[in-house]
Amino acid sequence: MQQYLISLLIFSPLAAAFIGVLLPAKSENSFRYLTLAANVIQLFVVLFMFVAYDSAARINFVEQQPWITLDLGAWGFLKATYLVGIDGLSFPLVILSVFIMGIATISSWTVTQNVKGYFILLLVLNASIIGSFTAFDFLLFYLFFEFMLLPMFFLIAIWGGPRREYASIKFFLYTLLGSIFILIAMIGLYLSVHDPVTSGKLVHSFNILHMTDPANFISNSILDPNNPWEIGPYNGRLWAFLLLFIGFAIKLPMVPLHTWLPDAHVEASTPISVILAALLLKIGGYGLARIAFPVFPEAALYFGWFVGLMGLISIIYGALNAMASKDLKRLIAYSSVSHMGFVLLGFASLTPEGVAGAVYQMFSHGIISAMLFLLAGVIYDRTHDRMISTYSGLSSKMKSYTAMVLVGFFASLGLPGFSGFIAEIMIFLGAFKSNSTTGILPESFAVLATLGLILGAAYYLWTLQRMFFGPFNVKGHIAESQIYDLTQREYWMLIPLAAATLCFGIFPQPILSIIDPFAKHITEFVLTTGRNLTLSL
Amino acid sequence: MFPIEHVLFLAALLFSLGLMIIIIKRNTIMILLGIELMLNASNLNLVAFNNLMPEKMDGQIFALFVIIVAVSEAAVGLAIVLQVYQYYQTSIPDSVSDLKE
Amino acid sequence: MQSNISYSLFFEICLLLATTLPLMSFLFSLAIAEKYSWAVSITAPFLLLISALSSLVVFFSVLDEQPYQFAMAWMVVADQTFSAGVFVNVLAATMLLVVTVISFLVHLYSIGYMAGDAGFRKYFAMLGLFTFSMIAIVLANNLLIVFVGWELVGFSSYMLIGHWKEKPEAARAAKKAFVLNRIGDAGFLVGLMILWTHQGSFDISTLDAINGFSEWQTAASLCIFCGVTGKSAQFPLLTWLPDAMEGPTPVSALIHAATMVAAGVYLMIRIFPFFTPTALDVVSIVGIITSLIGALAALGQYDIKKILAYSTISQLGLMVTAIGSATPDAAFIHLFTHAFFKACLFLAAGSIIHSLHHAQHQFHTHFDVQDIRNLGGLRKKLPVVFAVFLLAGSSLAGLPFFSGFLSKDAILTGLVTWAGPDTSWKWLVVMGAFAVTFLTMVYTFRMIWIIFFGSEKKTSGVDLPESPVVMQVPLLILATASLWIIISWNPFINTRWINPALVHSWNVTILSVIWVLVALAVAYRTRNRASQLKIFLHAFYLDHLIEWNIKNVAMKFVGMASRIDKKLIDPFLHGTAYAQVLVAHVTGWFDRALVDGTVNGFTSFVRGVGSVTRSFQDGKIQLYIFWSIFTIIIFLIWTLL
Repeated sequence: MQQYLISLLIFSPLAAAFIGVLLPAKSENSFRYLTLAANVIQLFVVLFMFVAYDSAARINFVEQQPWITLDLGAWGFLKATYLVGIDGLSFPLVILSVFIMGIATISSWTVTQNVKGYFILLLVLNASIIGSFTAFDFLLFYLFFEFMLLPMFFLIAIWGGPRREYASIKFFLYTLLGSIFILIAMIGLYLSVHDPVTSGKLVHSFNILHMTDPANFISNSILDPNNPWEIGPYNGRLWAFLLLFIGFAIKLPMVPLHTWLPDAHVEASTPISVILAALLLKIGGYGLARIAFPVFPEAALYFGWFVGLMGLISIIYGALNAMASKDLKRLIAYSSVSHMGFVLLGFASLTPEGVAGAVYQMFSHGIISAMLFLLAGVIYDRTHDRMISTYSGLSSKMKSYTAMVLVGFFASLGLPGFSGFIAEIMIFLGAFKSNSTTGILPESFAVLATLGLILGAAYYLWTLQRMFFGPFNVKGHIAESQIYDLTQREYWMLIPLAAATLCFGIFPQPILSIIDPFAKHITEFVLTTGRNLTLSL
Repeated sequence: MFPIEHVLFLAALLFSLGLMIIIIKRNTIMILLGIELMLNASNLNLVAFNNLMPEKMDGQIFALFVIIVAVSEAAVGLAIVLQVYQYYQTSIPDSVSDLKE
Repeated sequence: MQSNISYSLFFEICLLLATTLPLMSFLFSLAIAEKYSWAVSITAPFLLLISALSSLVVFFSVLDEQPYQFAMAWMVVADQTFSAGVFVNVLAATMLLVVTVISFLVHLYSIGYMAGDAGFRKYFAMLGLFTFSMIAIVLANNLLIVFVGWELVGFSSYMLIGHWKEKPEAARAAKKAFVLNRIGDAGFLVGLMILWTHQGSFDISTLDAINGFSEWQTAASLCIFCGVTGKSAQFPLLTWLPDAMEGPTPVSALIHAATMVAAGVYLMIRIFPFFTPTALDVVSIVGIITSLIGALAALGQYDIKKILAYSTISQLGLMVTAIGSATPDAAFIHLFTHAFFKACLFLAAGSIIHSLHHAQHQFHTHFDVQDIRNLGGLRKKLPVVFAVFLLAGSSLAGLPFFSGFLSKDAILTGLVTWAGPDTSWKWLVVMGAFAVTFLTMVYTFRMIWIIFFGSEKKTSGVDLPESPVVMQVPLLILATASLWIIISWNPFINTRWINPALVHSWNVTILSVIWVLVALAVAYRTRNRASQLKIFLHAFYLDHLIEWNIKNVAMKFVGMASRIDKKLIDPFLHGTAYAQVLVAHVTGWFDRALVDGTVNGFTSFVRGVGSVTRSFQDGKIQLYIFWSIFTIIIFLIWTLL
């Protein structure tokens, strides 16, 4: 029974989408409840998984089904399997996905334009996100990864703001470019990795677990660790790592590949922004930790400082840009860039603290950024104006809203008691320690990254000061009656998020104990394997 | 007796004239006349060549045969022309283009 | 989990109560409905009273005992445990007592001061949160929890400074306080990173047990000191404290005078053995610079709360200098006495402001009640406040028979001993400290003289009501606590029952008595002189300097970053997009002109040939004949030639 849990997670929204296709477009409410029903089923499945999860096992709930087996004659077999599982890296993200998709559904309740299409796309998106977080087969992962783009593109392009076409195409092209890089690396890996289990004929495998073992590389293939091809300054494996890194860094997003993010966020409607920030960005970090680092450990060691440097640049650059933003949503989008920089820094450190912190940061940022975008959506719903300078002194008219904004902003700037603090302190400790234990990042990176904290405080508090404090005033054609406090539905979205970030900030251990074995395993694996491979060259 | 070449030359001239008339003239009657001219040119040839072998009458008989054929041809031809004229109100073949695609 | 057998369950319950009741107060004040907010005015002080009484029990239990320790795992990462727990020694218990008692008194006072305020609940909630986080700093057994509390007091301080958020200056001051604190906190965080890397532990007891000094320790202690400069308003991060006076006055008394700003000093005392001599030298220099700036700036202020704020900075600087001179005990005694008399001064100032505000409402006059130039001769109208102010002010100025005299004496003694017989830069520090005590006398006297003596200015003809009893009781308690009795039975030779391990030197005592009396005389002589230098009023333009830097340097970076995004990365992308479109047009043309052209050309050729050949059979008989003849002729020519 346990082995079908993940399939249940992936296919329940797909089944709901299928039912939705059959329903008449006029029955708008049925789509809303259908989506909610799928979310509720997923929620129960995840709860059950949380109880049944075994931290000692490396991968839980594994399911493997034959999927594609092609006889290529002299070239052997092409074999891709439906292999899904959950480990310490993916479980927090799966929990997050289910949680956030539920919130996004509630937030989508007010969508009135083409309801059928909207909710079906949302369900498909849901399935592909869960799928990419659980796939252990590269081809399967890639399938889900690519499939995510489509619903996202339409959700931005049809239900977005005034410049939605520009934003959606920018988003699409950017991520497609990243996908192409990943595709090239995947083809290289496909050519170089064989399945160790089947004897006799050569079987090309897409199994990520096979890829992580250097013994499974076909000798004299492109990415063979013992005899890699030299292309320019680096060998094939380093190039492949860079391809994967750039591909995932676009998704993350990393400076300077980040400019799709502010535009996509500003133009996307609130629930889509929430999904984009809370879940889609995480796939970048997830892909790095799942594929790029363990498959090319020596490249991870070689380029570790570069990854860390890009993380540091993202942290500071994103924060500076957030400070310069005049649009509330853009500010939050740039703060996401800054916070995801911490993820890069944590992974690059290759210390257990740093990696655990990075995973925790992805989890925590998912909750917090979802909350922030919902909050930005609240004011946008009322006045259709997101400019910070339009408002001042909102606190006197919107008490509960201001309280929620305070929670969101302080959680995001890393106040202790909120989940962001735990993540960031772990990353800082790990990144600083890296120099003396793994020797990848210089200590100055961690020290400079604290600038991100200071700037984070500065731009959030500045925004609070400008928008919420001072005497009440709104500019433009906004009537005072448009400004009213939170509604029941908005409470239902915001309270769980606020509670979650608070809860995971005070009691981090439940999630940390899931992440910890993964963090320990991957750092040890990458360090030992990477060093062996570097020596053997 | 003048040499055979002169007769042959005359026949060739007549034949050519007939041919010219067939190609150039637009009226069907004139084309029929051209045909008659060409037939007569060939008769002239037949008669002239018969003169080379007088003991045999082949050429002359053949010429008579041609004359008869020409007469019947002229009769049939004129009849067709008359019919066409009645139907199309013209005797110019180019204007009769019902069969043209 | 570890626990000491020697401590009774009663003690543990008291400790738990002392720690968690402020948190309860916070939660209760948040949870209660708006229309029952009056209930907060009963529950909050009540809970704090129990907390204070419990901490009294804790204090007396810990006195002369082994420290109480308790820890439990908070997070486990990579087989390393981040624990959360308490480490209660005499120092911590004393500080706990100071925090809870003053917090209780401020709660009590606030009932009167904040009566009728719209944000009543929020105010008490934040006071509760502040007290809880402050207790976390005081009791925590490791620096990570200290850091947690450190940030949380910053947060509650932010909320309380910005309590009247409709006032733009309040919002601005709150932001400034938090951001400047954050700068210090970033340093603290770096210190934590160094500790984690080299020591692998944040435990205060292990830090104190480290033997020998190494380079990383200097770095770590300086980084932690950086956190202290933020929280305790040391040079150069001191400018937020005067601005923080925008908050309600009881808040200034509790947070920005007695406890939070002292947290930095307290932390340094608590982990004093960890500080290396090199680090301590830096500490003493920063301390004395801060102290001098504060004292001189206090001399130039007109705003009553700003005078007190700069005075706080100056006194904190003095404590930090004392730590730098390796006498943390003296620093702590000064912290202790300062907490009481400075809280008292602030609350007294608050009483004046409160009374004047009420009077203004009654008589519809408007003037800045905090500007001492508008006040004068108040001793007759507000006798209680005057008495209290005089007592606490004397303590601040360091007059004999007051607690401030004893603690300052301890610091000066420590400094003189530290400087040693040889002439070195250390004597400059000692001279600085004497200058500070001199200046303290001068500005305190000036403040009291202008407010309470002389003739009435704007207040003449206005009836001033005395403050309600709930406000007077805390004042009186605190004023009593500014007498020498609080730390010693003997006003001159201090038996120092709080901390008996101090050296004492009669020479310094006599010198400081004379010095203070000289200062008093000078202050009296110059009482009417307008010595208002602009540079003092603006505190050496430090604030302007920082603001100028922020505007001109930081914002330049901000602008640059956004320009890079808008002018470099996006245009680059657009450029590539346009280039692609251009290439697409070229290939499109290529498609149309060449590929399609070839295909079209071929068809049109075929069509042409077709139409040519078709023209041979258009039903014109004569043409048929012509062509057949023509062909025959050609054929004949071909064959014959």
